[in-house]
Amino acid sequence: MLSQVWAWAFLGSLVVFFVIAIQIVSDGTVNFLTIRNSQNILVAITPILLLGLGQTFVIIGAGIDLSVGWVMSLASVLSALAIRAAFNAGLPLPAAVVAGLAAAVAGGALVGLFNGVIIAKLKVPAFIVTLGTSFIVRGIALLLSQNTTVIGLPRGVRSYGNDALIYLIRGEGGGIYFFERPEVTGALLRRMDRILPYPVLMTALVVAIAIFVLRKTQFGRHTYAIGGSQEAALRTGIRVDRHIILLYVMSASTAGIAGFLSTLRFTAGSAVIGDPLLLSSIAAVIIGGVSLYGGAGTVIGTVIGALIIAVLVTGLVMLNVQAFWQFIVVGTVVILAVLIDQSRDLIVGRAKRR
Amino acid sequence: MLKKSLFAMLFAALVLAAAPLTARAQDRITVGFLPGVVDPFYQVMQLGVEAAARDLGVKIITQIPATWGVAVQTPILDAMIARGDLDYLVTAPTDKDQMIGPLEAALDAGIKIITVDTFLGDGDYINGPVTFPISYIGSDNIEGGRISARGLAKAIGGSGKVYINSTNPNVSSVEGRAIGFYEVMDNEFPNIEIVGLDFNLDDMNTAVQQTAATLQRVPDLAGVFGTNVFSAQGAGTAVVNAGLGGEVQVVAYDATQFAIEQLREGIVSLVLAQKPFDMGYMAIQFAVADAAGVTSLPRRVETGFAIITSDNVDDPAVARFIYQVP
Repeated sequence: MLSQVWAWAFLGSLVVFFVIAIQIVSDGTVNFLTIRNSQNILVAITPILLLGLGQTFVIIGAGIDLSVGWVMSLASVLSALAIRAAFNAGLPLPAAVVAGLAAAVAGGALVGLFNGVIIAKLKVPAFIVTLGTSFIVRGIALLLSQNTTVIGLPRGVRSYGNDALIYLIRGEGGGIYFFERPEVTGALLRRMDRILPYPVLMTALVVAIAIFVLRKTQFGRHTYAIGGSQEAALRTGIRVDRHIILLYVMSASTAGIAGFLSTLRFTAGSAVIGDPLLLSSIAAVIIGGVSLYGGAGTVIGTVIGALIIAVLVTGLVMLNVQAFWQFIVVGTVVILAVLIDQSRDLIVGRAKRR
Repeated sequence: MLKKSLFAMLFAALVLAAAPLTARAQDRITVGFLPGVVDPFYQVMQLGVEAAARDLGVKIITQIPATWGVAVQTPILDAMIARGDLDYLVTAPTDKDQMIGPLEAALDAGIKIITVDTFLGDGDYINGPVTFPISYIGSDNIEGGRISARGLAKAIGGSGKVYINSTNPNVSSVEGRAIGFYEVMDNEFPNIEIVGLDFNLDDMNTAVQQTAATLQRVPDLAGVFGTNVFSAQGAGTAVVNAGLGGEVQVVAYDATQFAIEQLREGIVSLVLAQKPFDMGYMAIQFAVADAAGVTSLPRRVETGFAIITSDNVDDPAVARFIYQVP
């Protein structure tokens, strides 16, 4: 539990630091702690978090999935093609969007199945298999998209990816609106906050399911057991091969959801959208205290890890510090997180981790 | 201990980097500048933005993405919106369709948009599918593609095989250049065959590799068109590495120092300089004018080109358009 306390404390300190620093640097004209900014940070973490969620399970099970960024790209292309095809075939928009989700998750799951079978049955190291599939998947995505952004989606798709559950207009003439975006302009528009955008809600749902599965189900317990020691897990009768395959299917499926949500947000499919996100998502998992040796970690930890990265990016931009600093800071945090993890091992010993 | 020292480090780093900003006085309007990627083209554009800001008393918030792409540009855009103090945003959208939604969100937050170098939709902000930006200020890239095609055709004597290396699909700027290039080659030069177009995804190493492979595949290749900074540098490098400098002609879009060096060595036969300084300077002028209530700003401004060849590269009137980054 110690590492998670550390992560919370770090996140809290980071927020306090940015609140104060931004106030000083901007002479009080820019405020870090606003409803709008909190929602921005939530939107910013959705892709990193979804990629990191499945990864959390895989790494707790002592594996690694390097293909998630490209699976996200493939899923983005697949869902855009599916939405377009379904809508052009006469399906109503909501049905077409569901078809897009199905295509994204199915496509992702298929890649995960491929990864899992080769890793579990043919005993090829996960690092190599998922590295290989990441190239394959990237190629397929570029071919499917015919090397361009997949456009021509119905305009309504944009509202699925960008509208919010609640709209709050502060101050005079304001109000609170649910489900429907109020038709306002000018000063009222400037004071309108979008609270809980739909992609954030969907991600929250996936996070809740992941927490439940890891903490409350046999599947979760077996994941820890396999990560702790595959041999011991085998001896207790866990079907290790099947379990490992499922872990990679899960990982690729959450990456699929990430691709689907990016298609909604950008109203287009892109075969390169996930490329830059892989390393950030692994960083989030590690900062969140998941041990790369397997057997330890939590979903909440990964959520905090993703939040730390998003707060850093947003905070640095609001400070008007070049965003390049984020790389240096995130890198430092990753190494420190692992160092702290290890020094704790020296004191407590590895056996009692969870 | 570790945590403490980390905070100390972080704080020191941030304060040092932010220190020059604290000195700024309260200015009239605040303009965000969010170009596509770190490269000499956008660096010169930034010089234009900063020069106009000094002349006109505008406060500028600049953020430059480390790599090209929607997934990198959007989180930075969101954070710039979240600042809450921007009146205008001068930006180069990294995809003409995908960036519509995120930039509409900026508009929702009361930030007016001016696009530079690249545009949204089809670039027609009056009758096209996207009309919310104030203006597009940039090159007529289709015309740039035509000029490049005629330059390359002349260099290879009007016949032979040519190849295009480009960055990303669905980016208005480089897409236009390829369209113009194809148009001229198809209509005016029946003896020239375009053997392929590759996307290097804005990575120079990939551009080198793709051009080298094409040189292998097409032994009698006569010319290469590199559609931007990275494409042209990569194409030029591959031609030199293959020992074909001067044999295979290269036309380079964007007048980087690197391209000019290769022009002097005879590897590159024509360099097409855009005017990023003008784009940056005028975008700030437009923001100031709009804030002052000017309503007749043109929705599209073409900044033109300078065509640089070995004949005029030392002419100061032309050389001033070479991208000079301090």
